[in-house]
Amino acid sequence: MSSGKIFYNTLTFLVFISLFIVIAVVISLSVTSYPIFLRDGLFFISKSVWNPVKEEYGILPALLGTLITSTLAVGLATPLAISLAVFSAEIVPPRFRALINNISDLMASLPSVIYGLWGLFILAPILNEYIMIPLHRYLGFIPLFSTKPVPTNLFTASVLLAIMIVPFASSIIREAYSAIPYYLKEAAYSIGLTRWEVIKIAIGYVKSAIFAGLFLALGRAMGETVAVAMVVGNIFNLPKSLFDMGYTIPSLIANQFPNAEAYNYMVPALYGGALMLFLIGLVINFFGLYLIKKVMIKS
Amino acid sequence: MSWAIEVNNLNVWYGDKHILKDVTFKVPKNIIFAIMGPSGCGKSTLLRAMNRLLDLNPYARVEGQVKINGIDVYSDNIDITWVRRQFGMVFQIPNPFPHLSIYENVALGPKVNGLVKDKSELDRLVKRALEQAYLWDEVKNDLKKPASMLSGGQQQRLCIARALALKPKIILMDEPTANLDPVASSKIEELMLELKEEYTIIIVTHNPQQAARISDYVAFLYMGELIEIGETSMVFTRPKHELTEKYVVGRMG
Amino acid sequence: MNKRKIIEKLMLGVISTLAVISAIPIFAIMFNVYAEGLKHVNLSFLIDLPPPPVGDRVGGIGPALVGTFTLVSLAMVIGGAIGFFTGLYLSEFSHTKLSQYTQMFLQIMVEFPTIIIGLFAYTILVAPIKRFNALAGGFALSIVIIPYIALNVREAYKSIPYTLKEAAFSLGVSAPVAYLRILLSTARRGVLTALLIGMAKVAGETAPLLFTILGTTFTYFGGLDQPINAIPLLIYNFALSPYERWHQVAWGAAAVLLTIILLIFIVSRLIVKEVKL
Repeated sequence: MSSGKIFYNTLTFLVFISLFIVIAVVISLSVTSYPIFLRDGLFFISKSVWNPVKEEYGILPALLGTLITSTLAVGLATPLAISLAVFSAEIVPPRFRALINNISDLMASLPSVIYGLWGLFILAPILNEYIMIPLHRYLGFIPLFSTKPVPTNLFTASVLLAIMIVPFASSIIREAYSAIPYYLKEAAYSIGLTRWEVIKIAIGYVKSAIFAGLFLALGRAMGETVAVAMVVGNIFNLPKSLFDMGYTIPSLIANQFPNAEAYNYMVPALYGGALMLFLIGLVINFFGLYLIKKVMIKS
Repeated sequence: MSWAIEVNNLNVWYGDKHILKDVTFKVPKNIIFAIMGPSGCGKSTLLRAMNRLLDLNPYARVEGQVKINGIDVYSDNIDITWVRRQFGMVFQIPNPFPHLSIYENVALGPKVNGLVKDKSELDRLVKRALEQAYLWDEVKNDLKKPASMLSGGQQQRLCIARALALKPKIILMDEPTANLDPVASSKIEELMLELKEEYTIIIVTHNPQQAARISDYVAFLYMGELIEIGETSMVFTRPKHELTEKYVVGRMG
Repeated sequence: MNKRKIIEKLMLGVISTLAVISAIPIFAIMFNVYAEGLKHVNLSFLIDLPPPPVGDRVGGIGPALVGTFTLVSLAMVIGGAIGFFTGLYLSEFSHTKLSQYTQMFLQIMVEFPTIIIGLFAYTILVAPIKRFNALAGGFALSIVIIPYIALNVREAYKSIPYTLKEAAFSLGVSAPVAYLRILLSTARRGVLTALLIGMAKVAGETAPLLFTILGTTFTYFGGLDQPINAIPLLIYNFALSPYERWHQVAWGAAAVLLTIILLIFIVSRLIVKEVKL
């Protein structure tokens, strides 16, 4: 065999390993979680119960916690991510642009455990003192703010997640925004539009990229584990307000898995949660990647 | 007469597209053989079919023979790297490895192919190749500098030196002056006339004047078919085919 | 000033303010981590065993540092190699069905929640031998970076102009020499950046380690089949503990981890700069 052929075969083998691992992860999730779906069916996701002694598991609260924290995070992050991208691509003087982008990229590569540590000891007390307690005191009649806040709860987790996903979403938007052909902006200026009006048009032009960035960020927020586990409160009950302590699926797994082997159905239940997380993430990421493809074809 | 290269019934497809149709010709040694034709006629493909660079394109399919010294480069069990070492190739865009120094660009081929025993032999080989490419005097004090600092014409001559350092039998040139200014172009042409003493040169060009100026033999390729082939003086003064006539007087493409 | 001008000024102000607000956390985090952490960091902090939860002994993060070094090396050797060659294949043989499917799967996997990968590694390498072990952690981290490195190496190789690929092969070299010697050095900036950022990623990952390495506190290294610790896992465990002393160690460890990440990040940026010359 020629060295070229050997080389090609080695490459192919390693590619198969990569592909095999992805498939194996999905199979292992499905096979291990199978018993809980077989026993409880969809009640497993529609019930709110976590009673290992009676082997009763229904992950609705964690599912809701995941959806609440991630969507609130994306909601908070949206104006920030768009602003950061526009600021870097349009407003800041060119010689500071690289600096801003580097800061943003550095933020995106900080370990989540550092965000978690900072969120737990610094952010949570500040949010509690200056935002959550006042909101509860003056707007407590609104159900969203009805619980008497403690520092670690769904709201704190959402804010921390928002901080974590801003740079990620912003870098996707920034890339699309910088790729807008200059002649389009020239055309807009030439008919007498102000800078803000041009930015508005440009934002409309990269709409797909903005949605792509936000969807991928949503996927990330849903899957984030340790940072959330450190600030979400880790209490299993159906959330009634944003200030409730709660669980997300990843934080539920992180907290419960270490003693799961002691029970018959807890391992399948946690793998079942992971499978749900995977499936939701799959849909979201597919959609995000589809949007990105669309943007790339356009430019 | 022994031939530098013999091409027999060569057919090339890209997917379903038939790019080269039954091309057959022979090239004598130590001449400049020009392949001319309008863009898209398949002349670059023909060049790449000779040294099997076409293998890089997964959609390309080749049938027919290309023989060097009587050996078909498409026969089974042939070492493709050996085939490619029989040819030196110069490309349309000067493409030295931009991150390597001038010296390293020339030394790379002999080094990775194990053509030299030691550093001093390599040094001699690099110097000789650069001299042959008319570049030595201009760069001898800058050998350690990156190739990207050279001008376009110098970069192209560096690429010629890179090809020569492999001690090939045949030099393939794919429109080597298409991206150069007139002064740099004429330098390359001068160099080619010098090099044919030692090598056989096959040049692809879309410029009939260039073919007329430098080549001994010329082939006219049109839409994948070899329309006419012959001594350059004959083809340009008394073309046999109507299409050739149109092309050489500049009424086509 | 007319109304449109006023709106323009106003909106540019709003955008700039929001942009600045979104950048505040990074500075706050760096400030807090170094302010709280650096006072505990010295040579013995990097070497010693962690302290007992109460008492005066200062202690350190020696085992976790050794563990992180071990795990990152494992991940770079296993995951780095598989990821690199996968990326090379994705770029250079992109016409094959295998390449297209793999790329799609990897793009999905790069956004996988890493805790799922932790569960997978537990199933494969911990449950069968009923012992947490370093290899399982290294395996999990490998899976985390394979898609990341593969996709970025693919980009790096894709960015090489086709004419340079032709030039490399026209020298009459075999495919491994062309790809791994000549063209790798052409794409080295992109490949190195991919490896470095991948390294930073695994150095800071916690979730894949939760159920794989246990997080020992009293041994440095007992073999790849034995439990081990890692800095991120130590920060997580100690921060969530009720002990003030361990919180301090967590901050110190965070300062060390942040420094490691910063160094890798800066090096990767310098590499990118070097290219632009």
